[in-house]
Amino acid sequence: MSIRTEPLIGVTRARPRRRPASLAAWLDREPVFSWLMMTAPILFLAAFVGYPFVYGILLSLQDRPVAHVGTFVGLKNFVRDFNDPIFWRVAVNTFVYTGVATLLKMIGGLALAVAMNQNFRMKNLVRAVLLLPFIVPTVLSTVAWMWMLDPAFSIFNWFLIALGMPKPGPSWLGNPTLAMASIIVINTWRGLPFYGITLLAGLQTVPPELYEAATIDGASGWQRFRYVTLPLLQPIILIVTLFSVIFTFADFQLVYVLTHGGPQNATQLFATYAFDIGMGAGQLGLGASVALTMLPALALLILALTLYMRRQ
Amino acid sequence: MSGRSRRDFLKIAVAGAAGTALAPSLGRAADKSVTLLHESSFIKTFDEYMQKTLAPAYEKETGVKVVYELTSVGSLPTRISTITETGSGADVTMIFLLYPFLFADKLMDVSDIAEDIGKKQGGWYDAAKEAGIVNGQWKSIPHSNIGQLMNWRTDWFKEVGVTKFPDTWEELYEVGKKLKAKDHPFGFELGHGFGDNHGWIYPLLWSYGGREVEPDGKTVVIDSDETARAVDFARKFFKDTMLDDVLGWTDVSNNKAWFAEQISCTNNAESILWLAKRDFPDIAKVTDQAMNPQGPKGRFHLLNCIGHSVFNFSPQKQEAHDFLHWVMEEKQLGGWYASADTYYQPFLHAYDNAPMWDVEPRNKPYRDAMGSAHLPGWPAPPTRQLAEVVAKYVTVDMFAKACAGASTKEVIKNAEAQLKEIYRTA
Repeated sequence: MSIRTEPLIGVTRARPRRRPASLAAWLDREPVFSWLMMTAPILFLAAFVGYPFVYGILLSLQDRPVAHVGTFVGLKNFVRDFNDPIFWRVAVNTFVYTGVATLLKMIGGLALAVAMNQNFRMKNLVRAVLLLPFIVPTVLSTVAWMWMLDPAFSIFNWFLIALGMPKPGPSWLGNPTLAMASIIVINTWRGLPFYGITLLAGLQTVPPELYEAATIDGASGWQRFRYVTLPLLQPIILIVTLFSVIFTFADFQLVYVLTHGGPQNATQLFATYAFDIGMGAGQLGLGASVALTMLPALALLILALTLYMRRQ
Repeated sequence: MSGRSRRDFLKIAVAGAAGTALAPSLGRAADKSVTLLHESSFIKTFDEYMQKTLAPAYEKETGVKVVYELTSVGSLPTRISTITETGSGADVTMIFLLYPFLFADKLMDVSDIAEDIGKKQGGWYDAAKEAGIVNGQWKSIPHSNIGQLMNWRTDWFKEVGVTKFPDTWEELYEVGKKLKAKDHPFGFELGHGFGDNHGWIYPLLWSYGGREVEPDGKTVVIDSDETARAVDFARKFFKDTMLDDVLGWTDVSNNKAWFAEQISCTNNAESILWLAKRDFPDIAKVTDQAMNPQGPKGRFHLLNCIGHSVFNFSPQKQEAHDFLHWVMEEKQLGGWYASADTYYQPFLHAYDNAPMWDVEPRNKPYRDAMGSAHLPGWPAPPTRQLAEVVAKYVTVDMFAKACAGASTKEVIKNAEAQLKEIYRTA
């Protein structure tokens, strides 16, 4: 008696396993293709983010005049920075600028979002118009502000003089305190829409039932905001703040165009000071070390916020 | 189907990348050209003369195409840095202030051009040698000076009985007091601009006998009686003659104030008069220019030299060298200067009495000032330390802080500490 090996009708015989017949088939494999698709962005990030970052660190450890070969000096550039009185002025300026501007943007942005979340005529148009400060190129809007802060043309001075202040009114960019206040206000004006629109998007995800329930429980408007809106918006506020701090801390264009760090370094920030040293004085290593001192503060902040968000 | 489209995608991506990488080099191989990187001139006819007259003439004569690449003067140092760091880009560049010294190792020795041109065109001003020679070699061919001088309103000065520009700083101060009382203040930049601050601060310091560093390039001597006198003068000059706003001014500010008829005197290039003649003819009629006032130790001006350098790593460096030599010959150079009136003041004595000076006689002080013009930081040699001093606005801020209310002793001590820290590496 022999065993019959005829295939059963309707049952497909399993294909024998075999190696890929061609490169085309190998490329068709999902893991291979997905890695190929990932290669371009990874290379892009490595080239335009990773390489400059590592190069910046290497530069900061060298005495590296422009157009010359660098020599390794360890942490000497950082020691020079710490002995430089302007550096400490720059550090204080940057923290004040970032802290105050971020706080103003957060409060203003929240108020803006709540206002924009109401129903009124031409709501969409108003929302679109509010984005203008964020859309207009910074250099362009800064030039407009430059005119508005020039005592000869300033609308603010015109009002203050009309109210009885002696001519020519405040020197917005000539007085160190007013100059810092001016750049903070302009940065806030520019960054407010980013906060406002992002928080508005968050507001619109809050279920109306929660407000209805709170109202039935007798909550006032403030209590609804404090105990319903704010807790639900908290993750979005943290993310927007994180981005805002990073952008504000590294701000360059506004100061470079408006004051170039003056008067007497009252508005000099890390980014503008690093640029002046690196490009103006041709000290690439020293300039890189100034720029890199931003890193620990920013890294700590990002870490703290990330941990906080995870815990939430 | 999906497999084929994926392969197609990859093929196209690879082919595209290869094509992009190869195309420029194939294109370059067919060209014979020299690229000149230059500031976009304030005087449009100057750029047009290169684009429409000189470049086509050179191509016709030699077959070498000249690419005239324009950039803003503010971004020029960044562009030059990028070119020297990457070893690719333009072949010839406009260069100015201390940059020939910073980039010297990457610039071709063009002494042969300088000597030939100097011999044929009346010789160089000393200021040209100060700006172009690095360690005995000409690293740039000085083209011209963009002088920073006094711009003053003749009608308002006349109101206080002054028809000739004051000869000394003290005399100017006395006039300024009277003019401020009549609501015609002065406006001299004391902020972080590009040139209008250094344009009068260094000459003021020098005219009182002050200096930052000795010619040895090491010894810091800012803490002196001469510096203190210059700072004291600046404080009262600011307080009694100027707008408070000058402390925050950048380079555009005094031009705006001038055309808003807000100030009666400032320190600027010829551009104020040039622009006034074009756009504000009534203001132009009452605008005049003069050399800086003198102090107890003489009269000084800032050397704001622009020149041209050839990158020594350029594959076309010989062609670039030859083009630069050709441009600097009288036949070409005279026309190029004339295209901008006298906004660019020649460093060659052959042009001292050129007809272009008669087009606008009010510009003649810019020519006369070149004999007493020096680079920022003079008499210290132009070094990387000096470039750092200028980039950190050490001296400008010393004066500005005093004007804002700090004591003379305090501001000089601060400046001295900064200078010593910077020059510690010399």
